[in-house]
Amino acid sequence: MKLNPSLAAALALPLLFAAPAMAQQATVRLTIKDHKFSPATAHAPANRPLTIIVRNLDSTAAEFESKSLRIEKVAAPGSEISMQVRPLNPGRYRFFDDFHVDEAEGELIVE
Amino acid sequence: MSFAASPLRTAFALLATGLGLAAPRAANAQEIKTNRYYELETKYIFGFTNGTDIGAEGEKEIELETTGAFRKRAGRYNAIEQEIEFEYVPTQYWGNEFSAHFLSQQITNVPGLDNLSQTGFSGLSWKPKWLIVGRGPGNPFGLSLSVQPAWERLDGGSGAHTSTFSFATRLAVDTEIIPNMFYGAVNLFYAPEMERAAADFAWSRVSTYGASGALAYRVAPKVTLGGEAEVNVAYGGWGLGAFSGSALFIGPTLHIQVTPKIFLAAAWSVEVSGHASGDPGRLDLDNFERQRANLKMGLEF
Repeated sequence: MKLNPSLAAALALPLLFAAPAMAQQATVRLTIKDHKFSPATAHAPANRPLTIIVRNLDSTAAEFESKSLRIEKVAAPGSEISMQVRPLNPGRYRFFDDFHVDEAEGELIVE
Repeated sequence: MSFAASPLRTAFALLATGLGLAAPRAANAQEIKTNRYYELETKYIFGFTNGTDIGAEGEKEIELETTGAFRKRAGRYNAIEQEIEFEYVPTQYWGNEFSAHFLSQQITNVPGLDNLSQTGFSGLSWKPKWLIVGRGPGNPFGLSLSVQPAWERLDGGSGAHTSTFSFATRLAVDTEIIPNMFYGAVNLFYAPEMERAAADFAWSRVSTYGASGALAYRVAPKVTLGGEAEVNVAYGGWGLGAFSGSALFIGPTLHIQVTPKIFLAAAWSVEVSGHASGDPGRLDLDNFERQRANLKMGLEF
């Protein structure tokens, strides 16, 4: 089967953009233990897609939530969750455990 | 987000404290966290006016929304719509609401309307909402667009059995005038409808254009009070050709974040100015009502 060159170019075009974007993906790793985030203050680069990975080391469930990041996800006891976040402007983004709002909170500093 | 002290914020805080509404705020580093003014979603804090927030990706919520419309120029007129809504936010840019509508109306001796007393299932709607610009660091203003295709089998005004299809469209802008404390929003909306009576083959078209503005201030970490003004203009068609009437509503709003997972929001508005085509009265009570109220409760799970 002979592939139309125009079609091949159209199919390949997204890869040209996707490859650098994937290369620029940043990752932030957090843990929850005794209903506290560690680190409580995390850092991430601005204007790059971000993956936030949270490992819950407690024996109770936690819900990672951030209104300014616009994400929330439940982490079962002993589990790890991963969330994709859009490229962010520089600034401070608060996050917390919605199941333990009085105990677990942290901040992502994007710069 | 931190918020700097300002004379305006200080004045509001003093006013709230004077009214006994503000929660005590600790003065040292051991401040009780639940008494702090964290970020607040603006979606429901402005009453009938919409905030731009859509919620967090992955959020699911059941909402009960009751909207009442009361009083025409004469007679007795009460219409209460109950919506049961399921809200789901699949991405950081897009939220959805799926709603079932129920309507209860009591109409007696209102000129131009048949007397009736009925309660029943009235329709279905879907409301996707796109967050075009998310408010936050680097973006002082939020911008969202929502549409609400709906089918209704009972006319919300007269109670007549109809087939009505509508497509309410709303553009919302909001901002934090004082971060985490004092909020403002402006909405523009357009709601075209096509309606056919049960025993009729002809479709009629009407539309409502409108704009609203609202302010809301957190008098306590979980309590937000505000006020809004909304102008509605009704036309006998989808364009601006056949003016039917206009009305200005003004009223207070309340939002309480009962727990992190439960909120309560209320609004009440009264028509203070208006004019209906062909009616010498000073209000438009043909196309709109004298008073309206909204009560919403949401439970996130």
